[in-house]
Amino acid sequence: MDLNKIDKTIITTLTTDARTPFRKIARELDVSPDTISNHFEKLQKLGVIIGSTVVLNTEKIGYTSIVRFGFKVKPTFSSEILSNIIKIPSIIVATKLMGEFDIIALGVIKDFNHLFKLRDEFVKMPNIEKVDISIWIKTMSLKSKYFII
Amino acid sequence: MCLVLMDEIDKKIIRILQNDARTPFKHIAEETNVSRDTINNRFERMIQDKIISGTTIILDSKKSEDGLFAFIGVKTKMSDSDVVLEKIKEIPGICSISRAIGEYNIEGIFLGKSMEEMIQIKEQIKNISNILDVVVEVFVDSPLLCPKNFEFD
Repeated sequence: MDLNKIDKTIITTLTTDARTPFRKIARELDVSPDTISNHFEKLQKLGVIIGSTVVLNTEKIGYTSIVRFGFKVKPTFSSEILSNIIKIPSIIVATKLMGEFDIIALGVIKDFNHLFKLRDEFVKMPNIEKVDISIWIKTMSLKSKYFII
Repeated sequence: MCLVLMDEIDKKIIRILQNDARTPFKHIAEETNVSRDTINNRFERMIQDKIISGTTIILDSKKSEDGLFAFIGVKTKMSDSDVVLEKIKEIPGICSISRAIGEYNIEGIFLGKSMEEMIQIKEQIKNISNILDVVVEVFVDSPLLCPKNFEFD
């Protein structure tokens, strides 16, 4: 996909502050706000920009840690299972993998009871063969744009 | 841990912005029956209180030419894990890295522009002294983010 200078500037600017007014980006690039607006819409249509969100400080809202779940699933079921996993509250990111696990998911937990409840939800889901759990402590997020943590 | 109190207006602001961070405050004001200034003040206050770290766009990493993601799991001797973690942190491409309680003692996620770059990153990690084992698993697609799954009560 060919992204030009305008597209790249829009992406970089909005990654750090999604609320940046288009006027401001336009001034930097010496183009009209409409041009920025059109490019932004194009990037959304092409699926480069999927959406925008607010980045929360998980600790401040009562979450104590991040948990990484690794799933082994029955062949051909991974897409269906993935779409169910991302609906579960507290799961903040999930994707298919190549390797030991078929799906990886990251969740935020409040305490151990919360973790057990989450695990029980996965155990109830059909066609999951194994759930591996690892608790992340002292997580350092170096690039939050893809992980919102 | 210090918990900050949030009222219904704060929560509503967050819920709306989780869906679309560019929602005009005027619109949020109408939804919550308060003034635009109130929304603005609440938003600024939540940033000051560090409840909100910022706003960002969600990208499809493949389409935005950023590359591929991979999970990394590292085994070290318990006593070496902090030193090894500090070294891994310095490697370009690492997005997130943690001490972990599970099969591996360090886990994280990294981003590489191409398969070659990903292999390079893996080699760099393997070269760190005191590492017993490294496992890398490449994401098949861009990760699906689900910010709306955050709950508060």
